[in-house]
Amino acid sequence: MGKILMKGNEAIGEAAIRAGCLNYFAYPITPQSEVAEYLSRRMPEVGGVFLQGESEIAVGNMLFGAAGCGARVFTTSSSPGISLMSEAISYISSAQCPVVFVNIVRGGPGLGGILPSQADYFQATKGGGHGDYRLLVMAPASVQEAVEMVMKAFPLAEKYRNPVMILGDGLIGQMMEPIEFPEHLRTEPSNKDDWATNGMDTRNSSKPNLVKSLFLNAELLEEHNVVLKAKYDRMKQEEVRYESYNVDTDYQALIVSFGTMSRVCRTVIDNLKAQGFETAMIRPQTLFPFPEAPIKKAASKESCQVVLSIELNMGQMVEDVDRSVQGKCPVHCYGKAGGDVPTPEEVIDVIKSFF
Amino acid sequence: MLIGFNKVEHIKGIVIIVGNFGSGKTEVAVNLAVNRKRSGIDVRIADLDLVNPYFRTREAREPLAELGIDVVLPPEKYLQADLPILSPAIAGLIRRPSQLTLIDAGGDDVGATVLSSLADPFRKKRVHMLQVVNPYRPFTDTVTGCLKMRDQIEKASKITITGILGNANLIDETTVEHIYKGYDFVKEVSDQSGLPLEFITASVELLPQIDVERFSCPVLPIERQLVPPWKKAVRLKK
Repeated sequence: MGKILMKGNEAIGEAAIRAGCLNYFAYPITPQSEVAEYLSRRMPEVGGVFLQGESEIAVGNMLFGAAGCGARVFTTSSSPGISLMSEAISYISSAQCPVVFVNIVRGGPGLGGILPSQADYFQATKGGGHGDYRLLVMAPASVQEAVEMVMKAFPLAEKYRNPVMILGDGLIGQMMEPIEFPEHLRTEPSNKDDWATNGMDTRNSSKPNLVKSLFLNAELLEEHNVVLKAKYDRMKQEEVRYESYNVDTDYQALIVSFGTMSRVCRTVIDNLKAQGFETAMIRPQTLFPFPEAPIKKAASKESCQVVLSIELNMGQMVEDVDRSVQGKCPVHCYGKAGGDVPTPEEVIDVIKSFF
Repeated sequence: MLIGFNKVEHIKGIVIIVGNFGSGKTEVAVNLAVNRKRSGIDVRIADLDLVNPYFRTREAREPLAELGIDVVLPPEKYLQADLPILSPAIAGLIRRPSQLTLIDAGGDDVGATVLSSLADPFRKKRVHMLQVVNPYRPFTDTVTGCLKMRDQIEKASKITITGILGNANLIDETTVEHIYKGYDFVKEVSDQSGLPLEFITASVELLPQIDVERFSCPVLPIERQLVPPWKKAVRLKK
């Protein structure tokens, strides 16, 4: 099959089907409603289920229920909707259920706006919900990458028995790009007999499985948290993904940027190169685990005089960038949070202001 | 650059652009407006897209205004609202049309529904309603899919589609082969529906490589206006 032209939101919906996920629960919200629109048409065609919850709170708990029963399941929403699901995300994380969440981020805080934003970086990588939990967070920079990340998210969620979040932004959801669906990324749902409440008659065990997040005994809760932490540490070892751009040059500035914003930064780097000024970029593809070591290494290059975290928010990822750079180079942030994506010219002016 | 475009001089008065979601209605409408304006006729364009939050005609309002094309939009203060606002100016525009009044409707039958609420101003007016088809989009990659879309849009809008526009493209990855195959496809849609194929499109970058003699219809050159922030729109000259 050749390439087709798809809007990010449609492609995300189709990618989930191609990944082998036939259960989708959601509640509409701009700028991601096209996922539900698309899947309301497509799910019945492939024998899947699309169920619109009465709210995002309901959706969060429907996901918990379905995943606890061993079903491969996912949802999509945008910022305020993810806030409403955050309680369920904490429970799902504690109960170690694999669920894929897609957040097509819009401007905040509060109702904010409907234009693209990356202001849910903290929410995605540091919590949102309560307790010591982490999500594996991936950030696509193109519609094709969104497709691939969605398809990879399901086996990753099952590998770690942990929720995975795809952090897109309004532009990733709304723009159209030519794409194809890599057949090799299709996976079968893993066997969940040893933990899911998938029915006593389907597995050879006399002991019922229990999916829960309540541990009243201090020792048991401590033990549970240690198990969870070991998973997050393993993600840090095995799942860091990033892309480097123009790092083989004697660059004077290092940009760290993800998602839509990184697309602008690529143009910036190309334009500055044409002017004889070298800059480079590390683009985190996973926001948790964060590519700490590659950023530290890139910032340590002798020619590099400044590290700039460029984000569609008022400065969130910069805290992780700063932590990664460990004082090897001065770290600054440039961000915009209203919904207007900075133009390449604007970013070039910012970079030049440091020299 | 107008390629065989004198053949579409009958496309005047009120022209409504419909089609499935993401078929390229806005890019086509904007470029058609520019093309006709350059040929010396008065052009107004109305953004009736109440369903799509991004990449709408309103994004191109400045370059269009510079060319003297009047863009009819909801009042400025509601421009960013995530609400379906139908400007009362639209009804006025239909009652007193310019030489070419282009109406860029929203996608699918859902986006075309708003047209039915304009039934009163449309009454007794001669209206062209053209369906944009991009065969590289889901749901209109088969002739049956296109005919189904036609039927749904007609039902929702309560207006009859009068012609087909071929807009085969994969944006930056479009090749000459895509244009040729796309033409053959929309020709088939035209034959099976009995609707005339009014014109097809091709980007200005690709046009020099295309053998226009191969087509039985004119080609509208597309100077891409709706671009993501890291790309530049083609600068429109008068």
